[in-house]
Amino acid sequence: MSTNPRVSSAIPGEPAHFGSVLAHQPEIAESFFALYGRFWGSDVLAARIKEVARMRNARVTQCGFCRNVRFDKAVAEGLGEEVVDDITDSYQASAKLTDTEKAVLVFTDALIHDPQLLTGDARAALQKHLTPAQIAELGLGVTLFLALAKVLITMGLEPEVMDRTVVPTPAVLEAAE
Amino acid sequence: MSGQGAGGPVFAALAGDPVLAEHYANFRAKAESALDARLVALVRQAIAAVHGMDADPIDDTALDERTRLAVAYARRIPFEHTAITDPEAAALVAQLGEPRFVAFSVVAALADAECRAALVDLPGLAAA
Repeated sequence: MSTNPRVSSAIPGEPAHFGSVLAHQPEIAESFFALYGRFWGSDVLAARIKEVARMRNARVTQCGFCRNVRFDKAVAEGLGEEVVDDITDSYQASAKLTDTEKAVLVFTDALIHDPQLLTGDARAALQKHLTPAQIAELGLGVTLFLALAKVLITMGLEPEVMDRTVVPTPAVLEAAE
Repeated sequence: MSGQGAGGPVFAALAGDPVLAEHYANFRAKAESALDARLVALVRQAIAAVHGMDADPIDDTALDERTRLAVAYARRIPFEHTAITDPEAAALVAQLGEPRFVAFSVVAALADAECRAALVDLPGLAAA
């Protein structure tokens, strides 16, 4: 997996990163950040749940940038590192993840890895713990997490080294509403 | 990709939240409109085929070099995204130019994710 940027920054003076590379396509960038802000700004599904799914996607897709970023809204909702550390392939055995979060992780694995994981009891568990509206939002989130991770990796925007970093949660862009 | 209408499975699943659905549709449309419509269709078709979905096979011999290269690259996205090499990416950047390579990367990654959303029946789960 390359850590050499495969596309240059479109913003003079800035290194190549997701925002500066996406700036080659301003309309795509604007629409993405409007969507992502709206998604994270919605409270239909708690930020902690979204972040659990994002962390799982980061691990499975091997997105180092995704894996080291934390959104502050989820941290404020109690998603500490001791919980994140349990989002491994053995997450079903975790005493720190809730049953809802485990159902969300099965859904996440099914979408990003193997759809056969979401049959029978797993599908019923998801529908027991989440409303249809919450599942729709979760599905959007995992779709975006997966696509974003693959864009970062295939454009060579993975960091060689990166500390764990808590950043402000993407917010609704007023101009986009 | 079949079965979810023109907006795809994620848009269909968001029917209960028209604002979020519109934002998603706008993002998808902006990415696709940055590329030739035929290339977008071929990328989506190639990725759907990799997922074993109902997609007609692509006759690579009928494609020009740039399109053939782009389709071959797209086929790597679903299961081999970490194995794409710098020379492979550079070859496609040389053909498309950086702005269109950026759009292509977004379109291909979204197409892959949407196939996966369809395979778990996201619209059905969200409508239950």
